[in-house]
Order: sequence, then C-alpha cells, then structure tokens
Amino acid sequence: MAPVLHEFLGRLKSLFHKRSMDREMVEELELHQSLLREKLLRQGVPPSQVDRTVQRTFGRTERWHERLRELWQFRGIENLARDIRFSFRLLRKSPGFTAVAILTLALGVGANTSVFSLINALLFRPLAVPHADQLAVLGYGQGGSDPQYDFSTPYFRSLESRRNLFANVFAYVGDTMQVKSSAANENVPGQLVSGEFFTALETPPLLGRYLTPEDDQRGGSPTGFAVVISESFWNTWFQRTPDVIGRKLIIANVPFTVVGVMPQKFVGADPTQRPEIFAPLSADPIIDAPHNHIDDGLHAWWINVVARLNPGDTIEHANAALLAVSNPILEETADTPEALLDKEHFRFTAESGSRGFTYARFIFRKPLIAMFAMCIGILVLACINLASLLMARSAARERELAARLAIGATRMRLVQQLLVESALIAVLGTLAGLAAVPFINHALATLQISDHNGNDHVQLNASPDLRLFAFTALIAVVTTMLIGLLPALQATSGDLNQQIKGGQHTAKPRGAGKLLPRVLMSFEVALALVLVVGAGLLAPSLVRLFRSGLGFDPQHLVNISFRMDKQPLTDDALMRVYQQIGEDLSHQPGVESSSFEFIVPVSGLGWNGRYLTPGSKPQILMMNAVGPQYFQTMRIPMFQGREFTWSDTKASGMKMILNQSAAKLLYPGRNPIGMQVIDGHDKTAYEVVAVVGDTKYRDLRRPAPPAAYVPLMQGNEEKPSFSAVVRVHGPQAPLAAAARALAARYAPTIPAPLMTPVDDVIANSLFAERMMAWLSVFFAGCALLVTAIGLYGTLAYSTARRTSEIGIRMALGAQRAGVVRLVFRENAVVAIIGCAAGLVTAVLASRALASFLYETSPHDPWILIGSIGALTVIASAASLLPAIRAARIEPITAIRCE
Amino acid sequence: MLREENTDSGDLIQGTLEMLVLKALQRGPQHGYAVAEWIHQTSQQLLKVEEGALYPALHRLELRGLLQAKWGASENNRRAKFYELTAEGKRKLNAESQRWARLSAAVAFVMQAS
Repeated sequence: MAPVLHEFLGRLKSLFHKRSMDREMVEELELHQSLLREKLLRQGVPPSQVDRTVQRTFGRTERWHERLRELWQFRGIENLARDIRFSFRLLRKSPGFTAVAILTLALGVGANTSVFSLINALLFRPLAVPHADQLAVLGYGQGGSDPQYDFSTPYFRSLESRRNLFANVFAYVGDTMQVKSSAANENVPGQLVSGEFFTALETPPLLGRYLTPEDDQRGGSPTGFAVVISESFWNTWFQRTPDVIGRKLIIANVPFTVVGVMPQKFVGADPTQRPEIFAPLSADPIIDAPHNHIDDGLHAWWINVVARLNPGDTIEHANAALLAVSNPILEETADTPEALLDKEHFRFTAESGSRGFTYARFIFRKPLIAMFAMCIGILVLACINLASLLMARSAARERELAARLAIGATRMRLVQQLLVESALIAVLGTLAGLAAVPFINHALATLQISDHNGNDHVQLNASPDLRLFAFTALIAVVTTMLIGLLPALQATSGDLNQQIKGGQHTAKPRGAGKLLPRVLMSFEVALALVLVVGAGLLAPSLVRLFRSGLGFDPQHLVNISFRMDKQPLTDDALMRVYQQIGEDLSHQPGVESSSFEFIVPVSGLGWNGRYLTPGSKPQILMMNAVGPQYFQTMRIPMFQGREFTWSDTKASGMKMILNQSAAKLLYPGRNPIGMQVIDGHDKTAYEVVAVVGDTKYRDLRRPAPPAAYVPLMQGNEEKPSFSAVVRVHGPQAPLAAAARALAARYAPTIPAPLMTPVDDVIANSLFAERMMAWLSVFFAGCALLVTAIGLYGTLAYSTARRTSEIGIRMALGAQRAGVVRLVFRENAVVAIIGCAAGLVTAVLASRALASFLYETSPHDPWILIGSIGALTVIASAASLLPAIRAARIEPITAIRCE
Repeated sequence: MLREENTDSGDLIQGTLEMLVLKALQRGPQHGYAVAEWIHQTSQQLLKVEEGALYPALHRLELRGLLQAKWGASENNRRAKFYELTAEGKRKLNAESQRWARLSAAVAFVMQAS
C-alpha cells in the first residue's frame, strides 16, 4: 500500500479510536520511563535523584502527548471543526446581524435559483428522449434572415420522401381534440404527428405499439384510424385498464382505435406541451373539420418539422445536404409562379434540436434573461452588503485578531477562521434560499404562463436536475468567496504592533484601509440605483399598458367560448341556438347585458380583409363578427347609428359598423352612415349602419387599428364558433354553471363552454411584462432595504470605534450638530459617488429594457430623478440614526473609557 | 533529535534516525526503550537517541506503514508496544542502507583527499 494512503487510513482510524489511542500512548511512555528509572537505579544513581533525572530527559508528558497526537491527526479537519464551533458562537452572539445576513443572502440565492430553474427548463434542458443530441430542428428562409419554422404540408412531404437526407424526419402540431365522453364532447389537448414521429423519438411505448407511416395515410391504415394516448390520459379516461389497446375513442365524431400508450415522461418534440392524444397528421381533415390544412397546401403554414440525423452525421453536413434539395423541392411544390419568386436565396436549414422546438423560447428568452440579470444584481448587492458589514465588524474586532496574531496564530489560520465564518453565513443563507425555492416555484407556476397566441398554457418542467445543482453550488461558492475573502484579508493585514498599541479607542488617520469599504458601499448604492431605475421604468409602463385606452371596459366582463364546429346544427338553426343561449344568459342573476363575438380582442387572434369605397383603392381593415348589444355590453361608445339586431341576416341586406379610424380612412370628412363599403375580394357591398369608438385589436401594445364589424348572422361559415361576452356584477361562478347547463340543453354534444374573465385575457397577454414589472418592483424594494441596512450597519460600526475621538471633540467644544454633520458626511460622500456611478450605468443599461417599455422613454428624467430621490431619502434615514447616536455621546464617559 | 554524544557538531538529519530505527528492528520486534538502548550500545555509546525524537519517529513510521505495532509482554512481564518491520519497511531499510553506504564512502573519499 502506498505510504500516503496508509497514512490517510491511519489518521482516519485514529479519528474514531481517539480514547484508546491516547491510553496506549500513556502506557507506552510510562513503560519507557519505568525502564529508564530501573536502569538509573542499577547504575547507582541515588533514588532521590532518579525522578529528577527522568524528568529532565523526558520533559513534560503533556507536550509529548500533544506531539504524538498531532502526528495522528488531520490537522486541517480538526482545526476546521474548531473554527466552525467558534464561528457558530460568534454568530449566535449577534443574532440581528446574523438574521439580516442570512435573509439577504436567502433572497438573492432563492431568486437566482428560481429564475435559473425556469431558464434551465426553457432554454437548456434536453428532450427526455434517447440520443436527443442527434435531433435537428428544420427551418427555411432567404439565407441571411432568421429562418421560419412553420412548414406547409407539401414542403414537409417532399422532405419526408427524400429518404437519404436524414435517418427520420417528422412533423407535428399541437391541436385541441373533441373527444366524446359519456356526457358530451370534451376538449383534450393533443398533437397531430407524421408517420416517423415515434420512430425518430425512439421512446418505446408503455403498452401496444406506436404510430407508423402506415397509419399516416389519408383515410387511415387499412384497419382504420389509429391513435396513441399518454399515460395520464390512460389513467383518467380508461382507469389504467390493461385491455385499452383496441378500444375506440370518438374524436370529432369519428371512431379512432387506441393502439398504444406512451409513458409519462414522453411529451413529444415540444417541451412546453403535454399532449394526451397523438393522432396521425393525415387525420387533420377529420379532427380539424371543417378546416383542412392538408388540402390548403402552400396556404397553410401549420406544422413544425424535426429530423433525426443519420448516424455520425453533423448539423453542418445536414445543412449542405438540405441546400442541395432546397430548389428542387421549391420547384416541385410550387402551385403558382409567385411561389418561385425568391428561388435564388431560398434554402432549408437545420439547427441543433436536442432541446426540441417551442415558440415559447422566442417569446420568453429575453424577459427571462432580463429577469436573470436583475436576480444576479440583487445577489451581488447582497454579497457586497455582507462583505461591507463583515469588514466593518472585523474592524471592530481588530484588537482580538491582533492579540491572536501576537500569541502565535499564523495569518493563514486567522484568514481561515474568518473565511469559515463567512462560509457559515453563506451556507446558511444558501440553504435558506434553497428552502424557499419550492415556494417561489409554486408561486411562479400559479402565474399562468401563456404564449401570445392565446390559450395554450406553456408547461415547464422545472424539476431540479444536475445543471440546477451545479448552478446552485457555483452560487454558494462564489458567494462565500465574495463575502469572505475580502474582509478576511483586509482584517489581518496591517501593522500588528500598531493595532495592539492603538487598540480600539484610538482615532486613526484615514488611510487606504478605509478606502475599500467605501468603494464597496458606493458600488452597492450604484447597483441599488440601477435596480430602482429599472423598476421605475417597468412598473409605470405596465400600468400604462393596462390603462391605455383599450376602447372597451374589461372590468366585470367575461368571455364564454362555445365550440360548435362538431355538432349537427347548421346556419339558421345554429343561429337560433346562439340567440336562445344569449337570451337565457342575459336573464342570469347579476348579468347586465350580453352579446357574441367571433374574435376575442387582445387575445392574439385576428382576421382582416381589404375593403374599399366606390372609386377608391382598397384599405386593410381588421374584422370582427359580433351580435346584438355588442357595443353596449363592451361599453364601446357609439357615435352614430344603431347596434346590430338578430334580424340583420343576409336576406335583409349586408350591414357593417366601422370604428372611427376606419370611418376616417374610408370616408375622410364625410358622414359614412348609409354609405357603401365594398369587399375588395368578392365585391360584396355593405351598408354602414353605425360608427363606434376605436378599440385595441390583437395586441395591447399596438395602437387601435381601423376596424369593421359585421353581424354574426351574415357569416359564410356553416358552423361558426362564437364567444359570448357577458357583463356581470357579483360572483361569476354561478354564471359558469349556468353556461354549462345552457350548452347541455341547447347543444348537448359540444364540449363544456370555457369561461374566462376578460381581465385574465389581458393579464395573460401581458405575462412577460407583468412578471418583469412585479419582480423589478420587488427587487428594487429589497435593494433599497438591503442598501439601507448596509449603510446603517457600516456607519454604526465605524462610529462606535470613534466613540472616544468624538468624546474628545465634544470635550474640546464641538457642538452636537457638528458631530451629526461629521458622522453623516461619511455616508453622504459614499451615497453621492454611488448615485453618480449608478446614474451613468442606469442610463446605459436601460436601453436594454427599451423593448419592454410601452410609451415610456428609457431615459425619462422624472423616473431618474425620482429614483435618486428615493435612494437619497433611504440613505439619509440610514445614516442619520448613527449620527444622532454619536451626538448623544457624553464626553466624560467616552474619555473615561480609555 | 539524534545526537552524537560529547560533540557539538550538531544534530544528525532526521532521515538517519529513521534508518537507524529500521535497522534496530531488523533483528525482530522490539519496544521503544530497547530500540534506543540498542542504538546506544551498538554505536559504542557514541549515539544517543532522545526520547523526544524516538517516539514521534516510531509513530511516523507506523503511520506510513513501514512498521506495524503489536502489544505483547516485555522481559519483566509488563505490557509493552512492540514494533516490527513490515515488508515495506524491510524494502525501505535495504534501500536506505545502500544509499548510506554510497554516501558515507563518498564523504570518506572527499575527507581523505590530501
């Protein structure tokens, strides 16, 4: 065995057999002494002198033990244990300091870990499928610009048919499926997937088989349409019965056969979706009826495409291969000459797909990184604050440290002890922060993360993984170093003798030793200012977004969406059902009025058309189909004309209502009532019956566009799905129940109608802004608080050390006001320098926030002045307290202390 | 430390003490006192091993695995800790004696040069 290893094992053993080893050492030495004594007696030394001689040759037995024991010890570890015990005692002695230190750190660590777990889930975590690194996301574009990811069916099928390009290539799209249960149809989240989807993702099914290219045929495989379901759907819908394979599911009124069950961890290629049913892509005409994305060819850009590379292949090589097939595919899929216009630069692209593909990444990347930056800011702030406090505290301990150095402690040992102390704080703080993470994550999860396209909720798997642990460990280590090393080095440097002589009560000249804490505090003030300015910019911007003229009143307004596309009634019969539902809804308790709309405003959905007046060129108008009393229900002002009625049908002549912008656009300076507006596409003429106020249409951040409304009774669709809008006062739960009952009575086969308060629609569409504004305000508050604590703490310590100096000054005639000024000035300098530095940084950094701001300049002078004002007030309050306390010093007592 | 008796030429180096301890144990297991005595006698009373150096050296060698210790009865029937060479210790002793032979011969050459 190697001597080093032997040594290590020996020391390890001695850790556990301390007592018996001590006993043996005593015995060994006693034997030696008695043998020595006998020898001396034999040599004729008189017994009276024997003991003295033995003692002289042997020295003190305790020292012997110490030397032998040291040999068997891990010196590092045992010193460490001693340091930890000592540090614990010190921390317990100042509970206030310890609590503040641990809480500020916990805040920084908790916030960082939470946001990082979101970032990790969205941006870093690989798909939970075998060999995810061999996946590639396909896109297409005109060379330089960012690629597009939504494919049309012809592009995809052409790629799929070129068998040598990739091992597998597949397409998928998230879809809501209407599945028939015993009561009615239910909406179930699902995905349409192409033939090689499961082969490429290489995850074996839990039961049965997965879908293959045979299933992905128009009309299904020879045995009919097949679907694969998720484990959770198997649990809830089939109670985990093992004979689920071969059972029928009625989707969109057509029977599908269940052929397999996928395990829980399998979610497909989009990590933010949780599909319950996987159906073949070719079943789209059935599942999405009456739409048919497949027959729409190059007009439907609806699927995402992912490929598995050939074994050993690289992304670069795949890109080269794709370039070669780009133009041939474009040519064979083109249905009109326009499709070939940009032929020269058109190319398909591949990029790494190990993390799958989701649009949520494009939407949330920037806000998440901005949030992360804020979190790092608050953590650095907490660290600097602690470093300053520790430094101030160890300055107050100078005498103790000097004494320890003088009686033989090495500088290394002292640094180690101080480091252990800060490490203890760091570890406790990190642990407290980690303990808070589940709660923060829970709070984050209850926020509804929705992408801008409306109701699809983004699901993130934020469970801890190796990357998260590594990140947390890194944070803990860096925190300890930041907090501990600086104060430790600072405290143990300098002239020992002078410190002992000087002790605690001597006034010292301002030197380099006092510079570092001031620089740190200035830095802290600057950082706090940046965070406050950020919050000052984001929060009012959010308020402005909420308050900015929506054009309608979202309070007490709810949407109830009815999906009528799969039930049997059509046209007039269906309209009568809507009319019935509308009338019954308006008689519910608390309901002020109700109507219907096709497009829900600011939900991200839209519909537009080109319209013209006789003899002018067409203009683009945003469109909506609405029911009677719509404008009254929405509280959209009606300047002229009348609301639609149920009798505004096709037969009674086409009608239209314009908003103010559209009226100005089509009939500038004229009264449009009774005039004609012509559809640029099919030349239908509409009669304008009213002019209403402008409203936000698709996106809250955009100004209200020119828009036109048509009566929903005049639509062309056979089975349109509308949302009821209801203005209701009082509790909303009874209304939801009433809506379900009404749907069950008049259209028993439709899925239960979904009720959403319009406030929620708006809040959802502003998720990123809301999250950032709340976090920034919260962090700014914390930053102010932490900075105040830091300024107060450092000043309080340094003032305490100047007690006798101040006493002497006062004895010599200094006024109390003068003493307040003297102490206050110390922090004022720090605050002013910090503010100046922070202001410059904030002005530079706020440009990064510009894209999150709504009608707010990133350099708004009022916000900058206000932030500086807030910081000044906080800093003054924190500095005034120690200053006033210093002024209360009684000169006699202070000097007598010496 | 190991001291040459009645001279003031200073301490011999520590490695030498360990070599002598290993050598003393070549004849078989011994307790600490016997090791010190043997070195003292064998060196014609020229070398005296101080107790303050002997025991740390013994423990250090034990810790490194060159010696192993057993408790047994001493000549007058008292419990004593006997040290014994391990295989590793024997190898080390061999290497050390060769090194010493070379070194002392070399030193002798130099000192005898006229």
